[in-house]
Amino acid sequence: MTYLTVSDVTLTFGGLNALTDVNMDIEPGIITSIIGPNGAGKTSILNCISGFYHPSKGEIRYGRRSLTKASPHQVSNYGIARAFQNLELFSGLSVLDNLMLARHQNLNYSILHAVFYFGKAARLEAENRAYVEKVIDFMELEPYRKMMVGNLSYGVQKRVEVARALTLAPRLLLLDEPMAGMNIEEKEDIVRFILDLKKEWNITVVLVEHDLGVVMDISDQIYVLDFGMLIGKGTPDEVASNPKVIDAYIGEE
Amino acid sequence: MSANRWLSTGNYFTSYKEEQRIFATHLDRSVLLCFLAVLFAWPLLFEVSNKQMFVIDNIMIAMIAVVGLNLVTGFAGLISIGHAAFVGIGAYTIASFARLLGDTHMVLTHGWPALIVLAGFMGALFGAIAGLPAFRLKHLYLAIATLSFQMIFQWTINFMDFFDQGQTISVGRVFWVTGRVGRSDHYLFWYYVILVIIVLVGFGVRNLLRTKYGRCLVAVRDNDRAADAMGMHPGLTKVYAFALAGFLAGVAGALHAYLYRGVGIESFTLHHSINYLAMAIVGGLGTLSGSFWGPLAIKVLDMQVERLSEWTGGHLAVATNLATALKPLSFGLIIVLFLMFEPRGIANWWRIVRSYVKLWPFRY
Ligand SMILES: Nc1ncnc2c1ncn2[C@@H]1O[C@H](COP(=O)(O)OP(=O)(O)OP(=O)(O)O)[C@@H](O)[C@H]1O
Ligand SMILES: [Mg+2]
Repeated sequence: MTYLTVSDVTLTFGGLNALTDVNMDIEPGIITSIIGPNGAGKTSILNCISGFYHPSKGEIRYGRRSLTKASPHQVSNYGIARAFQNLELFSGLSVLDNLMLARHQNLNYSILHAVFYFGKAARLEAENRAYVEKVIDFMELEPYRKMMVGNLSYGVQKRVEVARALTLAPRLLLLDEPMAGMNIEEKEDIVRFILDLKKEWNITVVLVEHDLGVVMDISDQIYVLDFGMLIGKGTPDEVASNPKVIDAYIGEE
Repeated sequence: MSANRWLSTGNYFTSYKEEQRIFATHLDRSVLLCFLAVLFAWPLLFEVSNKQMFVIDNIMIAMIAVVGLNLVTGFAGLISIGHAAFVGIGAYTIASFARLLGDTHMVLTHGWPALIVLAGFMGALFGAIAGLPAFRLKHLYLAIATLSFQMIFQWTINFMDFFDQGQTISVGRVFWVTGRVGRSDHYLFWYYVILVIIVLVGFGVRNLLRTKYGRCLVAVRDNDRAADAMGMHPGLTKVYAFALAGFLAGVAGALHAYLYRGVGIESFTLHHSINYLAMAIVGGLGTLSGSFWGPLAIKVLDMQVERLSEWTGGHLAVATNLATALKPLSFGLIIVLFLMFEPRGIANWWRIVRSYVKLWPFRY
């Protein structure tokens, strides 16, 4: 069921193509990475999938559903979550509240229940709180639970960003450079989390990442973008020996 | 169960249900209950003149309205320069019954609790309509849209024969189980009605804020892109915020109509909208307690300045002009000072005092 297809997607900004005829098949249960030099269109493709941009041409399908014209809240309700490259957290709220917000759709009590805080409201809040705690445990965020997100260090905020996406309980998780700006130790933590997500949580992961070492290590499938065009795909070994990909990366250096 | 529910030091939780409580300690709750008891008892113990009670009633009505404004502007981050218009919608809901049925009709005099609730729903309805531009507009543009709602409201009332072109429409005295509420009891009676409503509003909003219906407001304020990605419709959430604000404004408006025993447009002008905003800012945007501090502080300031300008005007004839200018001047100054030096408002002082007291007996 969890099967995402991007077919012939073109995204245009005022005459300039950010993406040109991109095709991708994201298979369930594996880690798919999207790599490419700066400005290659990696974030753009995630934006198209998650509904922030709508492709000018082409189609995106998730199972039987079309995501081509869906809005972000619809996409998230279909079970696709996204962690942003540039932090997009609710900086005025605690870590806990940030994650509880990801449970918004599961808290289906009425406003009357909320005003009197009885029955369903209290019960569902507690139940979902338990789920949030599970994610906090997993992402090792316990010390920051009650802290205001805006006051946390960049590395921790990045982790909250991933945790929040995970709290949506997605089947497909889109991670946009979750390790950017981190030191080796922090990176290793995130790598461990991603591998656990695949193994223990059975979540399909789409990873955008610049660190080629990490990408080659953990990916099952890699797509390479350059100037908005797909220039290579395959297993890490296939991609590493693809002359076009080598060209693009050497050309960049 | 936690071992100690009286002090916050050494008080810990063993389940999420326990942590959800509004009052972490018995002490918190006891203090609040005592405070409420005092609020209910003091008018019976002290001699209060009608004039004083009238001022207090006014402050309390403003508190209800400002809680609403704070939800939309403080929590959801949507500047509303039309809040007085929503208060007006509530008041004119009462006025339209007075016009249709006569100002001493049973519906008006016996059915007032229902009418107050109805006024709230009318406020919510118009709030939602006025909030529709939030689907497309943001920040200043949205603020201008609320301003235009304020102007449209004033114009409409001023042109409607049905509402006497904005001149005062009288509303009759209400009945209570003890019979008609007479002149001498009027302000005291409404004091109790408003107090009960404030307590309900305070608890209701406090509860709301710790559920998804409160969190979603802050979410669209802090980052509406991310709110969208969390599965909520940012536009609808904003409309809901306006409806919520409109509801409380409508209730405040209905109370205003009954307290003044009349409705005229002069109480719901742009000037009043700005006044509500000032109250929310001075009290502390995005805090519930600030919605209570703000109206109190602004009204007290107003009265002091008035007294001062009367005094100077009485002593120095030339100073009369200066005295009239004093009020808007001091008003503007206080807002600027708060925005510059204490943008979190009086509620922040309150928070500091509380956290100091809470940690007792330890300093840290
Ligand atoms: N909203 C927008 N308006 C105009 N141009 C845009 C917009 N978003 C992206 N672009 C352009 O599309 C191209 C691809 O951008 P994108 O952000 O997808 O790159 P990226 O691969 O994520 O780069 P990076 O590695 O730096 O994050 C860039 O040239 C960028 O300038
Ligand atoms: Mg990017």
